[in-house]
Amino acid sequence: MRHFILVYFFFLGFLAFSQKTDYQALNLNKALTENANAVVRVDEMVVELSALNSMNIRHKRAVTVLNEKGNAYATVYVGYDKGRKVKNIQAVVYDASGKECDKIKEKEFKDVSAVDGSTLYSDSRYKYYHYTPIEYPYTIELTYETTTKNTGEIPSVWRFLDDFRVSTEKSSLSINYARPDLKPAVKEKNLEGIVYSKDDNDKGFSFEARNIPALKEESMSPSFKEIAPQIMVRPVNFQYEGYDAKIDTWKDLGLWMSGNLLKGRDELLPATKEKVKTLVKDANNDLEKAKIIYKYVQENTRYISVQVGIGGIQPINAIEVDRLKYGDCKGLSNYTKALLNSVGVEAYYVHVEAGREKVDFEEEFPDLAQGNHVILAVPYEGKYHWIDCTSQVHPFGFIGDFTDDRKVLVIKPDGGEIVRTVAYTNEQNYQLTQGSYALRTDGSINGNVTIRTRGIQYDNHFTLAQRPEDKIQEHYKNYWHNINNLKVKTYRFQNDDSAVEFTEEVSVDASHYASKSGERLLFAANAFNNFDYIPDRYYDRKLPFEIQRGFLDEDEFSIEIPDGYGVESMPEAMTVENKFGYYRIDFTFSEGKIFLQRKFLVKKGTYPNSDYTAYRDFMKEVSKNDSAKIVIKPIL
Amino acid sequence: MISTKKLPLLLAFISVQTLWCQEIQFGEVSKEELLEKEYALDPDAPAAVLYRYQNTYMQSNNGYPRLITEIHERIKVYNKAGFEYATEQINLYNGRSDKESVRKIKGYTYNLEQDKIVKSELDKDQIFESELSFNYDQVKFTMPNVKEGSVIEFEYYVSSPFYWLIDEFRFQKDIPVKQVRAELRTPKGYNFRQTQKGYVPFTSQENIKRDNRIGMDVVVTSFDLRNVPALKAESYVDNIHNYRAGALFELVSIDLPGYPTKSFAHSWGDVAKSIGNTDDYKNQLDKTRSFDDELDAILSGKTDKLEITNILFKYVKDNTEWNGMDGKSFQHGLKKTIKEKKGNAADINLLLVAMLRYAGIHANPVILSTKENAIPFFPTLDRLNFVIAHAKIDGEDYYMDATEEFSDVNLLPIRDYNWGGLLVDNENMVWKHIFNIAPQKAESMYSVKMEVDQEGIVSGNYRSRFTNHAAYRFRESLKNQDLENYLRDKESKYTGMEISEYEAKNVDSYEGHVSESFHYRQENGADVINDKIYLQPLSFLKIEENPFKLDKREYPIDYGFPFRERYMVNIKLPEGYQVESLPSAAIIKLPDNLGIYKYAVQNAANGIQLSVTFEVNKAVIAAINYPYIKEYYNQIIIKGAEQIVLSKTDNEYNESTAGSR
Repeated sequence: MRHFILVYFFFLGFLAFSQKTDYQALNLNKALTENANAVVRVDEMVVELSALNSMNIRHKRAVTVLNEKGNAYATVYVGYDKGRKVKNIQAVVYDASGKECDKIKEKEFKDVSAVDGSTLYSDSRYKYYHYTPIEYPYTIELTYETTTKNTGEIPSVWRFLDDFRVSTEKSSLSINYARPDLKPAVKEKNLEGIVYSKDDNDKGFSFEARNIPALKEESMSPSFKEIAPQIMVRPVNFQYEGYDAKIDTWKDLGLWMSGNLLKGRDELLPATKEKVKTLVKDANNDLEKAKIIYKYVQENTRYISVQVGIGGIQPINAIEVDRLKYGDCKGLSNYTKALLNSVGVEAYYVHVEAGREKVDFEEEFPDLAQGNHVILAVPYEGKYHWIDCTSQVHPFGFIGDFTDDRKVLVIKPDGGEIVRTVAYTNEQNYQLTQGSYALRTDGSINGNVTIRTRGIQYDNHFTLAQRPEDKIQEHYKNYWHNINNLKVKTYRFQNDDSAVEFTEEVSVDASHYASKSGERLLFAANAFNNFDYIPDRYYDRKLPFEIQRGFLDEDEFSIEIPDGYGVESMPEAMTVENKFGYYRIDFTFSEGKIFLQRKFLVKKGTYPNSDYTAYRDFMKEVSKNDSAKIVIKPIL
Repeated sequence: MISTKKLPLLLAFISVQTLWCQEIQFGEVSKEELLEKEYALDPDAPAAVLYRYQNTYMQSNNGYPRLITEIHERIKVYNKAGFEYATEQINLYNGRSDKESVRKIKGYTYNLEQDKIVKSELDKDQIFESELSFNYDQVKFTMPNVKEGSVIEFEYYVSSPFYWLIDEFRFQKDIPVKQVRAELRTPKGYNFRQTQKGYVPFTSQENIKRDNRIGMDVVVTSFDLRNVPALKAESYVDNIHNYRAGALFELVSIDLPGYPTKSFAHSWGDVAKSIGNTDDYKNQLDKTRSFDDELDAILSGKTDKLEITNILFKYVKDNTEWNGMDGKSFQHGLKKTIKEKKGNAADINLLLVAMLRYAGIHANPVILSTKENAIPFFPTLDRLNFVIAHAKIDGEDYYMDATEEFSDVNLLPIRDYNWGGLLVDNENMVWKHIFNIAPQKAESMYSVKMEVDQEGIVSGNYRSRFTNHAAYRFRESLKNQDLENYLRDKESKYTGMEISEYEAKNVDSYEGHVSESFHYRQENGADVINDKIYLQPLSFLKIEENPFKLDKREYPIDYGFPFRERYMVNIKLPEGYQVESLPSAAIIKLPDNLGIYKYAVQNAANGIQLSVTFEVNKAVIAAINYPYIKEYYNQIIIKGAEQIVLSKTDNEYNESTAGSR
């Protein structure tokens, strides 16, 4: 082992020397430039943990940008805040031949606030320099150093690839620690396909990977973050804003959160407690109480983000939220939890990674850095009811596709616990569309449609009720983009909170829906749920693909044709069944009316790349049958 | 900009601190306002400004004049979508040596609880200041305790050392305004000219008042607007701010007893002349000679002025990179721009002017306001943000903007065609506003040869050719595109299409036309129903959706450039089929020769021939023509959806034999 280290460091030293002068970009390895907008020439981070409250990070990163799209990976940018100081920041620009052509010193960097549009205020800041490239390729090397007392902020993930269409020539992370107890835990992910070396000894460890070609993005593939070769790093013994921690399990992490950052944050003024008590006085059980309080919070608060100091991870006091009636996810969740607790209803603070893309917490890797959102879990009769306090519209217990079906950290008084949130899959994401329309001889249609949705389909539809008229019109124009000249005459919505079912009753008309050919009228019978999505075509699909949730649609339409007209032609009934789902459509004609029945099920699943063509063919088949036309003409 | 030095010192005068009599007092929120469920004139509005009062006046602060603006605003929040109006952002100009500041921020939220009005005060520690950009700071706050039905009210003072620069008075927002009152008080002798904008009519009143406390007369300009509708954007708008109701003020002269009258820029000519007199335009522009040798080499033997102009335009484009910054004055200066090969708009386009002049071309800067920067409305340098190059050769005008990759001589980026420009010709002492800088007509030609088989599968060869801005736009759309992604997007746009043998020619250059060709296959290209085949001859090239959806439009339609699109489609029929019916020919015209659509189809020996022309002859079309434009698209869409019907030859034969004989 010892021998290896010596060789290793010698090797590093040699490289550091040679690379200083070698950022030429004219003769790059073809394996690195293929499919790439940028090549990370070197990404090298050295973390020194010298004490529980002292961490220094040196970072050197050089990126060769091959075209305009690659600029995003060569931004000269370093974030910092009150607890993190930046020094020795410098950027050097090299031209294609590797000749230095610009050097940007610390004083030329702009130092600005990181407040963005969605945040009212944040004390995060960053230093940056806007470089205007004059030719491609070019290379920028950025070096800087940061120091902080918050050893809890150790970089939590190191990706050996930046993104799709970016390759890496060399990437390394070294973490050195002054004492063995400062050693962070590490977990390797997706390193199978890359060439890398690692070293581990009692002073530190390091990983180094070389020559990783760029990956191409493909639709429906797992997210880049999920498939990227990476190592996860988490501190075991650390300090965060003055709080010491020793974390070996999720249980520990939960205990540390509730014993420190959440401690005392849930106090309320006596008047508030009284008010809540009055609110729930008629409730029969804890679940009813929880529903009343959630509704109260939804009606009386709103989401506003203010991030000051420790605020990145600690909620503001419940008393403060009660007074201002706004807060971020942490503040609103903590406030709701406080209200619930004050009337004896149990509720737990939950860390979750939110987003449409489902991301699990790592079961065996307790880490404060996982998650980007906070929700609440309300235990009742052996089951968790999940609520998102930042939403003013979601029904109690319904979290939609933002936080569904993923492993999260539930912080209970006796410690943390990894739990999977509620899943909405396949038939649960249900839509029933029923409608009737009359076709006139000029090709126009006039009809009524009722759409009922549940599950994730509910999530996609129910916010309509909150939108203004013009946005609703716009929604239907997009939703029924297959109908030109669509006019929504009336609409009525009914949102059943307790059943989590949304009903839309819409009456529409449209001129020229059917196209005229002589005296014939030609039209797609399936006017109100016409599926025309065909997945992208790939000559050589490489990545697996995911159907994250699945859904079931059922449709029943009756179509009245003009008096004196008869059906000349009607499509055949069609049934398709395969591992991805099921599709059936059939048409009947009786007493001047055409009846259409349709059922379309797509099943949740992850499939290998080799299945992609079959999946695409299935969608093509559905799209083809949905657009199948009926021909009617006058009966003589 | 008018420099402070040019202004005689303001007489020390003290302004009246008390607010002018207001009808609506801060804090007097009524129960009716809280009970209001919707805004009667626009029931869909998520919030409305119930009242806004602005008072702007000059004040002396220890002998230093300041411009003070008092704001009082009352907003009703009707629903959750209106919550965003409970956050106020105040942008403050920071000129580095001096800056604007805001003070006395006071705010309350009013709610009705059990029939009682309850108010919640804005916390001082919930007011945040941060820098927005190099020249702007921002103060932000959001009101506490806001829920559906709340009324919020706040007031503040903005104090500005830039007292001669009065910001636009804005009377229209993206939510309706029930009442807005505004007053501007300027000391008599400081003559400001007012320009009004927007489509909402309003007037102002002017009174001269003796202010005994300062011993001076003041000019009070006041506005009172009721029921100002929300300003809503639609497609094809150059810049929505051009149509926002508001008033602009410019200082035109100072006429004080005991001082000679001091007059400032009055006309655009004056503005052009005054920038012509700045160091950048007067001296720096012709001083740099660091490019001489290089230009001598590339121009040696060239005598044709237009050729030289083209060479130099290309030279500047090839050798400099725009850093994305606007500007009518140098950021780096010519020498540094040549050395570092980059700079702002002035660095690059004035370098071009300098080089053209060196080569003996009659070249000058033209200063303008880009579309993003809105129309300037009145003569002032402050509202211009860009400069391009102009050359006069044999009496012809040539305009050039070398900042963009695909611009050409007389083919400017669309942003430049906004308002004309100011010609600054110091040598000939010509300083004037040029109106007629307009884009030329863009031509797009599409030719499709398609074949339909008995299963309804369509395969074909597509070719297109674009000129002028159509070429510019096409090049932009292809720039930095991964070809595979580009085709995938195209395939998914035209559902079911599979593309092969794709080729685009002359894409990377900015000169001349550009062309595209590919082979395609569409499984659902035609509908086969019983013995008939139905097919839309314009196929994937037809317009699917009317871009104009509003019933009424208050502002012009800005296409960017006039255009003509021509489509030639040739359809080969499958074996054993013949034409049963064809769509009829049609001509659709816009009034005043604004546009024409021609559709003609015929059955020829070698297949069906379709010819379509679609023209819009003006880049900008007045709002009054909106109903015609909307209907124009409507008709075009209907025409595009019409079908060709093919039927089997033998069936037809049988039928006709059976029927008529």
